[in-house]
Amino acid sequence: MHTNVGWLALVLAGTAGAQDGAAPARETLLVRAEHVIVAPGRVLDAAQVLVRDGRIVAVGQDLEAPAGARVLEGRWVCAGFIDPWSALGMAADGLAELNATAATRSIDGFDPFSLDHLRREALRAGVTSARVQLGAQARIGGLGAVVRLVPGLGRDEAVVAEHSNLWMSAGLSLPTGMQFVETPDGFQMVSGNRAQDPFDRVESVDRIVSALQAGRNYLIAQNEHRHELEDWKKKIAEKEAELEKESKKAKKDREKAQKDAEEKGKPFEEKKYKEDKKPATPRFDEDNEVIARAVDGRLPLLIAAEREAEIRALLAGTASHGRLRLVLAGGSEAVHHATELAERRIPVLVWPAPLGRGRPDELEAHDLSLAGRLSGAGVRVLLGSGGRDPSATRDLPLLAGLAVAHGLPSAKAFEALTLGAARALDVADRLGTVEAGKDADLLILDGPPLASTTNVRFTISSGRVVVTPEN
Amino acid sequence: MIDILFAFATAVLPAEGTLAIRARAVWTGAAVLENAVVVVADGRIRSVGAEAPRGVEVLEHPGVLTAGLIALHGPAGAVGETSDGTRPALPEARVGLAVDPRSVELVALHAAGITSILVTPDPAGITAGTSALVRTADGSILRDPAHLSLVFSAEGLAGNRAPTSRSGALAMLDELFAGTRGHVADAKAGRLPCLFEVRERDDVQRAVAFARQRKLAGALHGAALSGELASAIRGSGLAVISPVLGVGTPRRVLDAVAQLAKEEVPFGFGLDAPWNHQDSLRLSAVLCLRAGLDRAAAWRALTANAARIAGAGDRVGRIERGLDADLVLWSGDPLDLASRAEVVFTRGVARTIQHAVPAPEEVRR
Repeated sequence: MHTNVGWLALVLAGTAGAQDGAAPARETLLVRAEHVIVAPGRVLDAAQVLVRDGRIVAVGQDLEAPAGARVLEGRWVCAGFIDPWSALGMAADGLAELNATAATRSIDGFDPFSLDHLRREALRAGVTSARVQLGAQARIGGLGAVVRLVPGLGRDEAVVAEHSNLWMSAGLSLPTGMQFVETPDGFQMVSGNRAQDPFDRVESVDRIVSALQAGRNYLIAQNEHRHELEDWKKKIAEKEAELEKESKKAKKDREKAQKDAEEKGKPFEEKKYKEDKKPATPRFDEDNEVIARAVDGRLPLLIAAEREAEIRALLAGTASHGRLRLVLAGGSEAVHHATELAERRIPVLVWPAPLGRGRPDELEAHDLSLAGRLSGAGVRVLLGSGGRDPSATRDLPLLAGLAVAHGLPSAKAFEALTLGAARALDVADRLGTVEAGKDADLLILDGPPLASTTNVRFTISSGRVVVTPEN
Repeated sequence: MIDILFAFATAVLPAEGTLAIRARAVWTGAAVLENAVVVVADGRIRSVGAEAPRGVEVLEHPGVLTAGLIALHGPAGAVGETSDGTRPALPEARVGLAVDPRSVELVALHAAGITSILVTPDPAGITAGTSALVRTADGSILRDPAHLSLVFSAEGLAGNRAPTSRSGALAMLDELFAGTRGHVADAKAGRLPCLFEVRERDDVQRAVAFARQRKLAGALHGAALSGELASAIRGSGLAVISPVLGVGTPRRVLDAVAQLAKEEVPFGFGLDAPWNHQDSLRLSAVLCLRAGLDRAAAWRALTANAARIAGAGDRVGRIERGLDADLVLWSGDPLDLASRAEVVFTRGVARTIQHAVPAPEEVRR
């Protein structure tokens, strides 16, 4: 009895703790602003946004607050920012995983209860969701996920897309060089500075290309099997119909054969039809299932590559996969292939961090002007915090500002952080714009988005007011 | 380093003569003047006002005119020349003499609106010499020596020569200050400020005690959390040079910097270029701003306070009659990282910065 009471107290204490850390409740909200950026390039002045049950219900210029709705006001309203290259929420061991395969799921290494203070800082800076990825340096890093950054959300609400992409990386093979260093505020990934044999680097691309080819062969085998199976079913049906039609004769023939066998003292054998042979099912392979989806264009494929040699080999090796939705991540030397990237509509996910001298070898050409140069050449640009340091997600808007200072038009930077990221990760039906039907992930700002001097007044994530000027 | 190759500058105006600059806003350091005119003559600021004198050429600019930024720590321009690993104490070594005026590192800093840098000895041994304030445009010296470097952090320790421990280092510093000649004598007499190299908060405490005991002036450099000891630092009269703050800097560090402002301890930012990117200087101030530091304090840390810490508060760091015309025209608010330096003036000579990618045509709202 005594033990039971103690246990109960523990449970109650646990419950109280969980409530302290719980996300604020969903509310019915009417947001009023001088400017509402409905979607990149579409601004509605003196407008309102109505939010109910976690969704945007209406956007207009004459909306009234329904009874009981909370009214929030600000100068600018836009969609919450998305960090498509983040480390926030992944356990360090997951990030460092080197033995991942295509079917390894980042979502299994996602910890919705870790580093709450960093999540709150990210929300305060306007970053409401992020793509997390295990195996950041693995040749094949597995399936990435898009998650909300609100502490205390249940898993179901925290996960926006369980499988947002497949991730691979070329060139950087740092099993000995890379490590994660624990810091009081989380951890940081430290890239090794191990010089690599150029042949090794290009070989790493060959492996990626072979994996894609294997995935395509798998897809072809699956498709062929599907067709064969359909043909077989058709033939069976035809034969059955035929037998049905001539059922009396068939019955007589069978009885005769049965009688003959009995007379001759032989065992009776049923007549065989060639249609009886069902086509063999190809062997199921969970990794090739995932790669096949990427090859078929049903899952975006993000490949990290910094140097020209790897990028060139990747472009050549993927040219025959017409349905592949490739996104190049990093791309320090991608300017040399800007024309092809633009023609093939391959976006580049840029990490516009100010790096000094003494950076790892593969980032030697890393430069803040990359986003501006690529954009100027017609390449679609995405911006991310690099997936190395969970605390960097907070500063994604500042990184975007640096990209703007170095030549990226600010409209493109804004698009990169909202609709561009949502589209690239197949979550544009839920995130990225302020339109009716989308999830209510909104920022209420006291100035234009992406200006370093702008403050976020309110952050709303799926209808929950998670940042206010007071908290 | 593509940006260095592209971010070169071209002189458009002669050094001699008089020039008036009209900008949408002029940040003098004390006030923000809308649509004001700064008149420059013979490399100095002659006046700040609403109208240009008659007959003077006027450079019109739609952005913001400010004093040039000042970065307070690092080897830029003298990489490899800022310490001597063989000897633990070299108080007479002057890193200012090692600066290469044509170094690409200086070009990169200049293009980012940083008009002068404090080139400092490495924290090696107990002192690797004296710092110097150097202009990025031409490597010319604003002040040399600016500080005597004194090392209180573990960075000065080595396994194969003295000092090998902090207590050993303090004993050697005591011995050094028993001397009566050269830079040590200047420091003891208050003629030469000291640069106290610290890393941990206990280093800060030892350095503050050392300074108070000997009535030394100067600044503490290198401890990210020195702001947590702001009241003790204030009592010593020392200033603080914060290490550069990068992307993802923990909130606790940002709060510590804000604490310095609250206690009115003057502070600036070290940059340690070329090991850090030139834009990390403004980023440091912007990170503090977003964590609650007020705009004026963030801006002073980049300009007026930095100039005072470097011993050149009467020459640069503000827009005021009589000061050197080391100025920057920004495309917009310089505390918005999306703004960029467009024209940089050094003693009145204007250089237009050629960026790798020209400014987008769109106008920010």
